[in-house]
Amino acid sequence: MAAAILVVLGGAWAAILLSWAYFRRYAVTRPPVGVFNLRDISVMIAGIVIVPYLYLLLPLWLVLGLLVLSMISILYLLWEPLLHARPAIWVATLVCVGGDLLATWLLGSTHPVAQAINDGLIVLAVVGVTNLWAQSGMRARDVTILGGILAVYDFTATSVLPLMGEMMTRLAGLPLAPQVIWGSGPTQALIGLGDLLLAAVFPLVMRKAFGRPAGLIALLLAAATIGGLFLLPITTIFPVMVLLGPLMIGQYLYWARRAGAERTTWQYLQAEPR
Amino acid sequence: MIDTAFAQLRLAASLLFGIPFSPDSLERLVAALRETRHEFGSIGAEGAEMVQGPPLDDAARGEMQFRRFRAQATRAARETAYYRQVFDQLGLDPARMTADDLIRVPLTRKEAVRANPDSFVRHSARPYLRCTTTGTTGTPTSIYFSSYEMRVYFAFTAIGSFFSGDITDEDIVQISTSARGTLGNVCLAGACAHLGAITYLAGVVDPIQALALLADERHLPGKRARTSILYTYPSYLGQLIETGLRLGYKPTDFGLRRILAGGEVVTAGLRARSAALFGDVLFSGGYGMTEIWPFGGTECPDGHLHFEPTQGLLEVLDPATRQPAAPGALGTIVATPLPPYRETTLVLRYQTEDAVRQLATPPTCRLRHHPACGPILGKLRLAVRHADGGTFPRDILEAVEAEEAVPLPGRCGFWAVPGGVAVEVVVRDDTPAVRAAIGQRLEAQGVPLRELHLYTDLAQLQHPLPLRGDLREQAFALSPLPDLLAPVEDR
Repeated sequence: MAAAILVVLGGAWAAILLSWAYFRRYAVTRPPVGVFNLRDISVMIAGIVIVPYLYLLLPLWLVLGLLVLSMISILYLLWEPLLHARPAIWVATLVCVGGDLLATWLLGSTHPVAQAINDGLIVLAVVGVTNLWAQSGMRARDVTILGGILAVYDFTATSVLPLMGEMMTRLAGLPLAPQVIWGSGPTQALIGLGDLLLAAVFPLVMRKAFGRPAGLIALLLAAATIGGLFLLPITTIFPVMVLLGPLMIGQYLYWARRAGAERTTWQYLQAEPR
Repeated sequence: MIDTAFAQLRLAASLLFGIPFSPDSLERLVAALRETRHEFGSIGAEGAEMVQGPPLDDAARGEMQFRRFRAQATRAARETAYYRQVFDQLGLDPARMTADDLIRVPLTRKEAVRANPDSFVRHSARPYLRCTTTGTTGTPTSIYFSSYEMRVYFAFTAIGSFFSGDITDEDIVQISTSARGTLGNVCLAGACAHLGAITYLAGVVDPIQALALLADERHLPGKRARTSILYTYPSYLGQLIETGLRLGYKPTDFGLRRILAGGEVVTAGLRARSAALFGDVLFSGGYGMTEIWPFGGTECPDGHLHFEPTQGLLEVLDPATRQPAAPGALGTIVATPLPPYRETTLVLRYQTEDAVRQLATPPTCRLRHHPACGPILGKLRLAVRHADGGTFPRDILEAVEAEEAVPLPGRCGFWAVPGGVAVEVVVRDDTPAVRAAIGQRLEAQGVPLRELHLYTDLAQLQHPLPLRGDLREQAFALSPLPDLLAPVEDR
């Protein structure tokens, strides 16, 4: 169990730290017109509510198809500023996705090799998605609102309803399952993609909005919260956002009061060039 | 971002298939452009392409334009009194016309629109705004527009300004054009609302008042300290320059960064001489007229006039044969504003009478994918034809406004005389040196000068060119009546 926790915790921390490092070093190709705004947050929330039901209702081959398409898009976006050349980007993307599909198909989803590959891909996906959001102008205020709403939703969907448990069980056998997972049966540890996304994106938008100290504190608090959760003797699925959400709200209120208006991306890059 | 993506798709559908725009989507796009520039500091070239569409090759553009012309002609024949009669007499079903039939559609003359503007309005249209021309070339012409069209024009004017950088949310815009030039004024004001700029209609008042407004300091958060954009006629700009220099104004008294000049010929001399009063100011010129709005020309750095192909069909026709003018040859602009930009007052193959030259060689500039012609030379009926070709208002104005001895705006006239052209110009002093200098400049413009009449009094001009700057509006401050704004006891 301890080994599983260490692996999953390592994956979670890697996702948060790599997102931070990528944010400072690389510029993703964002949509040329448009800024991430509250309307997008509304759509995201609608998606978060609907998608688990889709995962439960749709045939598994269709779910897998959606996962493959999503992962290819995210990885392409992630590799683009690193590899530049289109063939290289496609090769890297298809090798990653193909490797996961092949490993799960040949070895089974609980095999350590398959799990390691899948965990690695989920970490990369977190880096890609969080950077797309943050670099598309997502505001700290909007992420805080999302975090607050998800705290309530996560508690309901995870602790009150069987929704999250059923979804994770159904997806566990698939390649590209949206979770960082290690082990099987009672020694298994895991954390969901959604929790990692929120934990990793908040430091980025806080840095953009209020500066490096705000970002670093958000990063440390997110990493410590997730680490602390794995130290607790929890035997069932725990709604991580119940802790992360209020933490985000508290930090946002503190920095907004102290620093005032959020910086725009342009102001952030003027003050802290890449 | 998601709603912006949907708005872009909606716009793309209209540009591709000619279906009506969604004003809501256009306004969302404008808002997204503003948000994007606020957040990221700029909008890249990819953004411009996403909003304005990719460039089309000649074949695809021709096919698209013909299909839209046919659709517009079909609607015109079914829904307007004027074109129903035209197509009946022609014996041509516009719905079945081919590209070769296009030349059979008779040119629409200004007199026809002026005589009965209502007969050009679609039966199913919902006209809301009746815009009249300023009437500098005769009785004003009326064109009706719907609220849909106006919303679309506001949005597109704003989008154009975003990518040209003409107007930003920091700007204060002074509109110094005639209040009767409703369409241009309203579209600019509507675009300013989208762009977040401040605008005010100063009108064509006494230049002293207009200059005082330009020099006035503002204290508005996020705005420039003085008026930064001036939208006016070249002739009124000339009056401002002349008056401003006489009153001792200097560039540091103003905060202008751009002058949007249109409605008349903008000469190189006027641009150069404006620096003495306003300093290093950018000029944005173009070509537009109420009858064919929003179809109009945009100047490129190479001096071409480019026309957005989705907005209308540009033809440059030989005035004698009414066939397309050959490369480098003289022609007049014949324009058809196309759907979905024009829905209320329909005009097909409108004869603008504006003389231009076809480009001698294909353009290689940034706007090379847009149909183009040379700069406006002036109204054809004001031109003088002679053995060397023709002399146009631009030829005369370019020569006289470049000469410091000529007060701005260049007040002049010209007419045919045996063997060439007679020119009359108002000058500060009629001296042999001034006469020689103006004569040389006119000949350098290719004018076969036979007579040169210099006057120091405007009233002496025999055939003065009409200037929009003379569409003067009165104001209380300079009225001979008591100062109506002052307290009653002070009058």
